[in-house]
Order: sequence, then C-alpha cells, then structure tokens
Amino acid sequence: MELWRRAANPWGQEVLIGISWDLMWAAVFAGLAFTLAHAVWAKWLAPAASTDASGGSSVAGLPAQILRHALSERVFHWVMSAAMLVLLVTAFAPVMGIQFPWVTIHWIAGLVLTATIAYHIVHATFWQDFWAMWVNGADIKAGVAELSHMLGRNGTEVPKAAKYPIDHKMFHHGAAVSGLVAIVTGIFMMLRIDTWLGAANPYLLNISDSSWGVVYVVHGISGVALFGLIITHIYFAIRPDKWWITKSMIYGFIGRDKYEENFDPARWVIPGAEPQQEELVPAGVGSPVGGVDDAAASAGGGDPAAGGGDGPAGGGDATPVVEDAPAGGDDEESGESSSGERTSEAGGLD
Amino acid sequence: MAEKLIGQDIAPDDLHAKITGRAKYAEDFKADGMVFAKLLASPMPHCRVLRIDASAALAMDGVFGILTADEVPQSEFGEQCLTNEPLYEGEAVLALAAVDETTAADAIELIKVDFEPLPFVLSPLDSLRPGSPNARLQGNTTVGRDWVSLKWTEEDFANAPEGSMPMPDTVLDADGEVIVRKATTEWMVGDIEAGFAAADLILDETIVHQSVTHHPMEPRTTMAYWQNGRLFIHTSTQSLVRTRAAVASQLDLDIEDVVMIGEYCGGGFGSKIAGSTIQLVPALFSRKINRPVMLRITRAEETYLGRARPGMQARVRIGFRADGRITALDFYAVGDGGPYAGGDQNASASTASLTYTPLNMRYRGVAMRTNTPPKAAQRGPGGAQIIGMLEPLMDKAARELGIDRLALRRLNAPEANVEYGPRGSTLTSVFVREAIDQGRELFGWEERISRSGQLNGTKRTGIGVGVSPYTAGSRGFDGLLVIRPDGIVQIHQGLGNLGTNSNFDTARAAADVLGIEWDQVEVVFGDTSRHLPWSAVQAGSQTTHAHTRANHAAGLDAKQKLQEIAARDLGGRPEDYDTSDGRVYRRSNPSQGMTLGRAATRAIQLGGRYSGEEFDDNLNDMTKASVTALAGQGLVAAARDTFGGSGGLQSWVVGFAEVELDIETGKVDVIHYTAVTDCGVVVHPRGLGGQIFGGSFQGMGMAMSQKWVFDPVWGVSFAKRLYTARPPGILDVPIDVQWAAVGIPDPQTPVGAKGIGEPCVGAGSAALTSAIADALEGKCLCRTPLSPDVLLSELEGREPAYGPLDLHV
Amino acid sequence: MAVIRDMIPAFELFQPTSADDAIELLIRYGEDGWVLGGGMDSFDWWKERIKRPTAVVDLVNVDELHGIRTTADGIEIGAMTTLTEVATHPELLANYSVLTDAASQIATPQIRNRGTIAGNLIQDTRCWYYRGGWPCYRAGGNTCYASAPTAMNREHAILGTSRCVAVSPSDSAPALIALDAQFVIKGSRGERVVDAEDFFMRPSVDIERMTILKPGELLTTIRIPSTWAGATFYYEKIEDRKAWDFALMTVASAMRINGGVIEDLRMAVNGAAPFPIRLEDSERVLRGQTPSEEIGLRAGEVAIRDAQPLRHNDFKLPLMRNLIRRAVRGAGV
Repeated sequence: MELWRRAANPWGQEVLIGISWDLMWAAVFAGLAFTLAHAVWAKWLAPAASTDASGGSSVAGLPAQILRHALSERVFHWVMSAAMLVLLVTAFAPVMGIQFPWVTIHWIAGLVLTATIAYHIVHATFWQDFWAMWVNGADIKAGVAELSHMLGRNGTEVPKAAKYPIDHKMFHHGAAVSGLVAIVTGIFMMLRIDTWLGAANPYLLNISDSSWGVVYVVHGISGVALFGLIITHIYFAIRPDKWWITKSMIYGFIGRDKYEENFDPARWVIPGAEPQQEELVPAGVGSPVGGVDDAAASAGGGDPAAGGGDGPAGGGDATPVVEDAPAGGDDEESGESSSGERTSEAGGLD
Repeated sequence: MAEKLIGQDIAPDDLHAKITGRAKYAEDFKADGMVFAKLLASPMPHCRVLRIDASAALAMDGVFGILTADEVPQSEFGEQCLTNEPLYEGEAVLALAAVDETTAADAIELIKVDFEPLPFVLSPLDSLRPGSPNARLQGNTTVGRDWVSLKWTEEDFANAPEGSMPMPDTVLDADGEVIVRKATTEWMVGDIEAGFAAADLILDETIVHQSVTHHPMEPRTTMAYWQNGRLFIHTSTQSLVRTRAAVASQLDLDIEDVVMIGEYCGGGFGSKIAGSTIQLVPALFSRKINRPVMLRITRAEETYLGRARPGMQARVRIGFRADGRITALDFYAVGDGGPYAGGDQNASASTASLTYTPLNMRYRGVAMRTNTPPKAAQRGPGGAQIIGMLEPLMDKAARELGIDRLALRRLNAPEANVEYGPRGSTLTSVFVREAIDQGRELFGWEERISRSGQLNGTKRTGIGVGVSPYTAGSRGFDGLLVIRPDGIVQIHQGLGNLGTNSNFDTARAAADVLGIEWDQVEVVFGDTSRHLPWSAVQAGSQTTHAHTRANHAAGLDAKQKLQEIAARDLGGRPEDYDTSDGRVYRRSNPSQGMTLGRAATRAIQLGGRYSGEEFDDNLNDMTKASVTALAGQGLVAAARDTFGGSGGLQSWVVGFAEVELDIETGKVDVIHYTAVTDCGVVVHPRGLGGQIFGGSFQGMGMAMSQKWVFDPVWGVSFAKRLYTARPPGILDVPIDVQWAAVGIPDPQTPVGAKGIGEPCVGAGSAALTSAIADALEGKCLCRTPLSPDVLLSELEGREPAYGPLDLHV
Repeated sequence: MAVIRDMIPAFELFQPTSADDAIELLIRYGEDGWVLGGGMDSFDWWKERIKRPTAVVDLVNVDELHGIRTTADGIEIGAMTTLTEVATHPELLANYSVLTDAASQIATPQIRNRGTIAGNLIQDTRCWYYRGGWPCYRAGGNTCYASAPTAMNREHAILGTSRCVAVSPSDSAPALIALDAQFVIKGSRGERVVDAEDFFMRPSVDIERMTILKPGELLTTIRIPSTWAGATFYYEKIEDRKAWDFALMTVASAMRINGGVIEDLRMAVNGAAPFPIRLEDSERVLRGQTPSEEIGLRAGEVAIRDAQPLRHNDFKLPLMRNLIRRAVRGAGV
C-alpha cells in the first residue's frame, strides 16, 4: 500500500503531492471493519448490562422529557452533517469511480462547514461551557471500566456517564481535530483554484511546493480520518439500540427513563432536579474541571457525536459532584430558561 | 581572364549525396567498439551540484562509466562542456556511456544528483533592477575583465515614462572618470543634443526583440575515438580546419594530432562556427574509457545547448530633419547575453550607424548575463535585430513628414565614402542605393504602395521594406591545389560544408584562373587527413570573399608554375603562355603547348616549388604541413591571399514585402516578397537565391512566430520543441518571391564577390515588421514576434497581451 | 532521480488484428497498456519519458478500424483512417466538406499521412506545463501552473475551465460536432454510442482524462449522419504559422439555409476550452434568422459572455467572437 503520492516538481525535485488513495480505502476498510466487529459483538458477544455501583439514578423532580439538544444545537448538527456528507461524497465518490463535477460543490460545502464550525466554536466558548467536552479523569475511568466490561469481564462496574460519555467526547475531538485541520488546509487549497476568494494562484503566500505537498497530505489524512469516523458515527446513529440518542438529535429530548438508565445525574445535572449526594466518593477521582464539566451548563455542547455515540449501556458514576455546579451559563440565560415550560430547560442556553 | 564558372549555375558536387541520403553526417559513422553517451542536464536555471551518486547507474549492465565536470578542461568564468554550476536549464552536468542509448538513458535516471538552487534571472532588464538577482555568482556583467553587479536605481526606473525603458546617464567626475556606471559600452559620434536640436521630428520608442534559437536541422552530434594518441573526431561543424584548431587548443593537443571529419553539416547559422563546446565530451570520454564514443544530441538538447540569437530590451530616440535626414540617433540597449556572452547590442549599434548614417549618434549598451540558454552569433548578429526594429520607425517618420518611405531610406543610406560606428570604420564598396533603386522597379513600389492600407474584406494590405547590411568578407587565407598527372585539378578547401556550397563555389575562382571546365575540378574537403589549407571560419559571411581570393591566389600560383614549365619545355618566356581548356599554350601559337596533366608530370620531375617540396613562407603552418604531405603528387600550388585592400566588407539586402493583415484574426499573409542584394559579383546565382530566400524567410519567422518562452517562476523553458519555438517551416514560405543582384563588383577584390549569408535575415524580418506596421496604419508595435495574439489585441483595442518591456513571450 | 528526455524507453509491442484482441490486451495490461494509433501524440509522450507504458497495443493491423464506408444514413469513418484519407475522400469532400477542411489543416502533410482521425480526437492536450512533466492537476498533482498570474498561458482556455485551463487540441472535433457525428466506443462489454460533443471529458468531472474513454475501451468508428450532408459549412483555423501549429482557435459550423433564413444549424469551437464546445447559445441566436453582420456579432458576443481570460489570452475573446461572425458571414451575409 502506498501512503503518499509523490511527483517531481518542475526542477526535478521529489515533492509530496497528496495522500495515496489507498489510504481512503484503508479508512473505509477500518470504518467498516469496526462497525462490523461492533455489530457482531453487540449481537452475540455483548455481556449483560453492567451494574452501577450506585444503582439507578434517583433524582427527584425529573421531567418526563429531558432536553438533551437545544434547537440551535440540532440545527447546527444537521447543517454541519449535511456539509460534511457533501464534502465526503464530493471528495471520495469521484475517487471511487462515480464521476461528476465535484470541485465547486466541495469547496462551497467546505465554506458551509467552516461557518458552522466557527459558529460552534464561538458559541461553545462564550455561551456554553467550553469544558463540557473536556475529557476528565472520571471519563477515562469510566471508559476503562466500559472497555473491560465490553471485553466480558463480568462484574466490572461501569459508572454512569456524564452528559457526554467518553466515547462521544473522543469522537468529538477526533472529528473536531480532523475537521479543523481539513478546514484550515482546505482554505489554503482554495488559493489554488478559482473561488470567491479570487482566481487561482499557486504561488500566493510564497508557500514552497514541498510545503504545499504537506498541506495536501494533511488535508487528505484528515479527510480519510473523517471518512472513517463518519462511517462509525452513522453506524451508531442507525443502530436501533441507539435510536433514542439519534432521536434526541432530531427532537431534542430523551425520555426520563433513558436519563435515569444511562446518566449520572450528578454529572449531567438537570436544573430543577435534585441529584442525591449520598454516594461514596472514591479517592482521587474527579477534578474541579470535571465538576464544571458535568454541570448542566455543558448541555449546549453541540457535539457532532452526540447523535450517535456509543453510550454506555448503563452503569454508575462514582465521581464526586460538586454541588455548586452552575445551573446555566449566566443569569440572563438562567432567567430565560426558567421562563420555559419545561423544567429541563438546562440546555436552552441559546 | 575569362570567367567561365563564376556566375554560372553549377550544381554542387555533393547535391546527389545530400538528396539521396548517401551523405554521411556525424551521427552516421560507426567505429569498432563504439558506445553511446547521454547527458544529464540541469533541471534548474541556476544551481550548484552538491553531490552525485552514480553507483546504481554504474552497476547496470552495459554501462561503461560517467564523465563529470571535474574531468573536463576547466574555465573559471567561461563555458565548460560539463559543469558543476549550471547557469541555465538544460546545461550538461555529466555524461554517461553505455552500450546503447536506451541503456544510457535508463542509467542516467538512476543517478542521484543533489542540486542546490541558486538565484536566477531571465530578463536582462530585470537584472538591472535594484535588489534583483544576478545570473552569475560573480555578478551580472563585466567591465573590462572584472565581474560587477550593475544595478540601476529606483529613480532611474521611475524617471522613465510609463512603458518606456529607462535611459540613465553614467555619472562622471570632472576628469571624465566613471563615478556611477549605468552601461557597459558607451560611445558618441558628433553631438547628440545638437542633433536633436536640429530635428523637426523626434521619435522615442521602446523596443523588445526576442531571443531565437538557431535550430539547425542537424543537432551538434560528435563521435570520437583515439588511436596512438591521435584524436579522430567526426563532428557537425560550420568550419572544418578552424574547428580542428579549436579542439586541439581546448584539449591541449598538437593540431596534427587531431583528425577531424566533417564532410556535411546540417546547418549552423552561427551556432557551430568552430564546432561546439559539447563536442569535447565524446573526445574526453573516449580517452577515459578507451572506446569510441558517440554523442548524438537530441532536439531538446540542441535547443538548450545549441545557442540562440540574443534578444534585447532597448529604447531609441531618433531625430529627423523635415527632409527625412536623420540628425540624431540615441540608442540604449540592454542585451540578453545568456550566461556566457554579452549580447549583440554593440553590433546593433554599429549596424544602425552604417544603415542610417545619422549625423550624430550616441550608443549605450548594457551587456547582461541571464540564466537562459547560451547566446551566440546568429546570421546577421545584432544587425538583423536592429534593422527589424528600426525600419518601421523609418516608415513612421516618413509618414509623419510626408516623404516617400524609400526616398527617406535612400537619403540616409551610406555611400562608398561612409565612415560609421565609434571608430569611423570604412568600407570597400557600398551599392545600397543602387539596390534600393533596383528594388523599387522590381517590386513595383509605386503600384504596390498605392494599395497600402486598403481593406479587402477583412484583410488590410501593408507594404514594407527592410534595408539590411552585414559583414561580407575577410582577407589573408590560403589557397591550395594540386594539378594531378591525370589532368584533374584537385582544389583543397579547409572550409566546412554547412549548406552554403562555399567549398565548391569559391573553388571556381581557381578554376577560372586556369580557364578549365568544372568537370576537370575535384574539390577536396571535409577531412583534415586529406591535407587542407588554412581557411576562414565559416562565419560572418566571410567565405565567398575570403576564399574566392585565396583560391584565386592559388590559381595564379598554379598558372605561374604552368607558364614556367611550358616556357622551360617549349621555349620563350613564361608570360608568352596562357592556360585554358585544360592546356597551357603559347598565346601566339595555341597549338604549341601541353595538357595540364603533362605539366603536372613535369612538375613532379622538376620538384622544388613545382611539386610542393618548397613553398612560400607566408603560408600558415597548417597549409605548409598540407603542402608537404601533398608534395610530389603533381603540380602543387599554394598561395596566401595577399591582394590587400582597405576597409571592411559589407553586403546589403533590401527586402520588400506586401502583406495582408486580417483585422479580425490578427493573421498575416505574405503576398509577395522581393529582395535585391549588393554582394558584388554573383558567383552562383541559384546558390545566391537560396541564401537570400533562406535568410529572408528565417528573418520573417523571427518577426512573426519564433520565440523563447520561460515560466518566470521556475525559469524553465517551454520553447524546447520545434513546435513550441515556432521557427518558420517550408509551408510558411510565401509563394510569390523574387530576387535580384546589383552585381557591381567590389573594386578591392580580384573576383569582385562579397558574402551574402547574413544581411538577408534583417531584410526579411524588417520587410515584415515594416509591412505589418503599415497594415496597422503606421502603428509600430516595436517588438517580436508579431503573432496573431499580439496583433489582434492591438486591432481590437484591448489591453496588450504583454507588458512593453516583457521579453521571452 | 535524474530527469532525461528524448529517448523512448523500451516497451513490449503488440499488433493485434482485431479490435477484440486489442481490447483484451488493454485490459490485461491495465494502466501499463497504451493504444497506439498514428503515434503522433504517443511518440511525444514516450520521448519525454513522462508516459511510460510497458505494453503498447498498435492498431495498425486491425483492418476493421480502417477505411471510410458509405452507409444507409450517412458515412462511417474507421478510427485508424489517416487524416490525409479523410481530407481527400470524394464523398466527404462533396457532402461534408467542413470535415475535410478541418482535416486538411491539421499539423503538416507528413503528420496527416501518419495521424489518424481517432488520434486527432483522442490526443492529449498540449498545455506546455502538463506536457513538460510538471506535477499539475491533470498529471495527478495538486495545482495548475498555467493559471498562475505569472504563467505563460497565451494558448490556454477562456471557457469551461475547472482547475485545469488546458485546451483541447483537436481540429477535427468541432467539425464532427457540427456534423452531429456519433462515436462508437467498444469495450469488453460491448459497444456504446455517444454524441461527438459528449465524447470529450470536462476537467470538472475528470481532470486527468481528455475523453470519456475508459481504460480498455477503443473508439472504433465515427458515424456521420446524412442530416447535414451538403449543408452550408464554415471552418476556420487560426494558428501562429501556416502549418505545424495547434490551433489558437477553430470554428466549425453547419447551417441549413432556406429562403435566406437559417433554418437550423450546429456550431462548435475548439481552442477555447478544455474540450470542444458546442455553441448552443449562438445557435439559438441564429436559428430562424437571416444571416447578417448584426446577428453574427450577437451570436459571437453571446458565446463569450462567460469567458474569463487568463493573463495572456485575452485575445481569444475577440478571436472567438470574430470567428463566429465569420462563420455567419460564410453562410452568405
């Protein structure tokens, strides 16, 4: 398998041109292999649901429908998904032999993606809890527990998740890094074609041809990475056992039962609901960051993964929860949410 | 002396061989054990070789070795046949020899060379801009023997009107010493400011002339091998014995240790005058690997290595009196010399000085080095460029002053007493006014000029004229002939055979002295082992003049010896005898005499100076060696041209063209072309016509389509193929063409003939640039090539396709 | 790895006698295979050592690909028919002279004697950046050097560009589009027939190919319907020299004129875009009109509405407009 495409530049020096399309097939293969393996595992090998040390969540005052994704998040998610899908199809379908004029669609979709991501970054930074997606110690512990559970070590206790379980977070970060890298390199690459940015100019910014090769390679790697990630993402989104999450990306809500079954109310605090705090706190786990992370304020996290993450099938969370978790971003927002009909308006920060 | 042969159409002896393919060119030879070399060329316009790893190539079956720049004669600043600091894309870095070319090429691809890119410059004017790169690490030009980095200032550029080339003045101190230099050559004749003050019309134009490759049909191929310390070299060269001398000197060999074979040369146009630098590679390689080495140069290599006419960016200001007389000509040129030469602009200046005899003239030239393929003389070097660029301006002045265009040229044309150029050079003869007058009649000037500007459908008629001089002779070379006992007169020629028929045509001068028929003549040439005399380089159109004289001298020597032998055997004084029709006979009684064969036998018997055992001491050493080798084979005559003379030689061609310019497409059709030459006595009419037309068409291609194009960012050429360089082809040749010669003998040479190869190019180019300007209603675009894109942009009033100073487009 | 040019690398030569055998060979060798027609394009690529097939399938002995045949509803030209044969064929001269005009102006007499009609259609672009081995989009690279503001792009495209700005070099293509010709393509799974104008690939779709031919497919036959036989034709090629030049621009048109009115027409240009363009907008302007200078100018202007010149090819806009005017004028203004 070739990793890179190389060519001689006009001076006969070897330069990188881009990734080898073998890498695309590798990503496709990896994505499909993973989904297949997971499907097989889920159908035949999955152990019984783990038990949470803390037992079922018991939260007083939970509404019947809990808002997981506010409208703005959902719109963001689907616009971004559309852009991403268009980008992947325009990038890879021609390579796979389905030919059509793809370039203009690709870069326009890229601009749409850029705009949505820019919106998301600003929104997440200033109106939402930026750290909601941060992977903390509790997440790692939960992830490890979940993995060992999946590997069939019965009896392992898998803690319940925060609003975004670690696999959602990991997907988010993988996609975020790949997406941002693809965006940045893609914008550079737009200098080399006729776009709204101007006529093509391969020599703009005085970037050497070998550096350009790196730009193309990086764009290619992030592209195939996204390809692989999105395959798995879509897989989970369409799995019947994950439908409730997928639906929440459509309708915004999850049922109370799903909340209680899957989430640690201390780590995903529903405003108006009161998590009980008598759980034991294992030493050395958790952090202030994690605490903030778990706050309801993180609800607007806008995670592209949120629609289809492989949420832990239950489990408890031994993470200590700080009681001073802010219930909402700021006062205005809180005020706004309090005026809402549903008490679970925690995510309605926007 | 009756001239039987001079002036006749006699097919040259090699004609059939050339037409049937029997003629053997350098690449047609083979030698036992011969291997083939291929070149590894620089991919960059300027770089340094850091490391060569040829191990994989050398490990290949059938590879015999490589030759690197470290193994060839070194030159600190000049051109080497292989180099570690290539100064243009395509310059040879190393050679590899293998059993065949397929293997050699495959092996070259296995060689790893690390090149370090260095700054480069393509346009000479760009190298004058402040902070711009230099073509050489040493600088961008030379002053005296010193390399300098010559830059103009921002003010110099800012001071020039928009689109005009700057004309900065060199700053001198009170003693006339240079403080700040702006040009590398400067001269003035008369007082330029006074000249402009006296002018009624002043034209001020910026001109750009492209560089154009020579494109000989035969690339500069060479095969070489060594036997017992002697080099045998088959090569494609314009000049044989002079190329032999050059090779001997470059390889530090005794000239007698070089045997050069070059019977045929598929064209040179100035690019193979003394062979070429690259011909040393097979010679050196053969010595290294002890095998005959053939280096066939490919078309792309030929385009890079094969020399080009230097282009220039220039500005000219010309002052005209109301009657059309030029009172001032101020010419400032920045020449594209390529990496190793200085450009043609100095020759352009003196050609302008000769052609227009301005009352006052100033010239400033900047000889810039660029990282473009090497430049060399090409057929009318400097002259063809400047005539092509200035003739439309003569038309512009004539139009503005309301004067007949031919009358204006005639008024400014030189006469026999002309003194031109910076040193007041003189000439042996000038009959350009006669040529203009004859051309006016032959072309039908009055009738055709009445069609000027006429629109026929979408085609507008333009009438053009180009008056073009160039050098046409030299003196002092040797003639050598042997009258054999079988009666054949064997005339030895040290010239090359580059397609001009010079070997055969100039031999006629000797035959005519003896009064023999052509079938009694055998011309010996093309192989230095056949004992050839010292000859001119086949360049500068010297040959016709130089070697009709040298052969005339040899003919006179033979005749003198024949007369003496006849007088000795048959009585009387030598001057009582004459020669003709293969006999030497008594004038008073023609039946009393002997055949040349009989005289040759007698010469052998007599020995001494008759059979070549003794000879004049003023002969060149090489001629002496040849005479010594031929001694005893018959009556040997060898003589140096001591006819003397004062002044230089210049021939003239006046070209007239009628064109039609399609105003919707920019295409130009040449409807008619007439050329009239002053080249003295016509030696071979058909050959002369071939020279005039060939040169004129070459000039037309230069004006219309031929070009060099480089990518400015990478400095890499696109005009390395004939179809992208666009020299004219046979189908570009206009159908309706005619030529004539003034035919007045040059008074200072016994045969009266002058050379012709060079001036035709300028005439053909200028006739078209002038005719196209006429079809553009007087607008001179003042650049080459005038291709349809350039013309259509002008016709449609659109933004010009190229900036006014853009070169290489 | 050093670069060397002008020496054809060794390859294995196959000379099958049937199109099916040729296709089988091409499929067997895949990317290493190469179809050799007249060789006028192939030899250049091989000499440059840029395209390096290891198996060359020479079609010279495939008799079914040679010759010109009159059929019930037109005329068929075998792919391997030489351009000289096309240019001098009596039936083509009599009824389809737009094609013979085009064929007789291709390259040089020598090249026309060797070059084939299919080769003229299929040949690769002459963009000198691409032909010089630069790693451009068309060569699988990641940029177009020819569209740079500094680039030497006098001969490049003003229309239909997408990253690549090279032009189609085929002189016969616009003539065949004007004649509404169809191309028969044979592959391992049988034949398909496409309209002439659909035969040429858009760089927006596949930047590395000039035609829709897939590896292992042969263009076998050019079918010219009798629809336009004896119509009013116009063909003009503008080139720098009188021979041996790729066109700066060509125009070809076929018009059916009745009672001084253009009843119907087809018009195409080449040298303007990476593929020969059929001028449907100009056709619409002209259809049903009496030819005149005004309508010719309008047809020309409408064709260049969307044209985008590069640094050095602005002249192609007026040139294209003028050639269309001349085609209309050629119809007898």
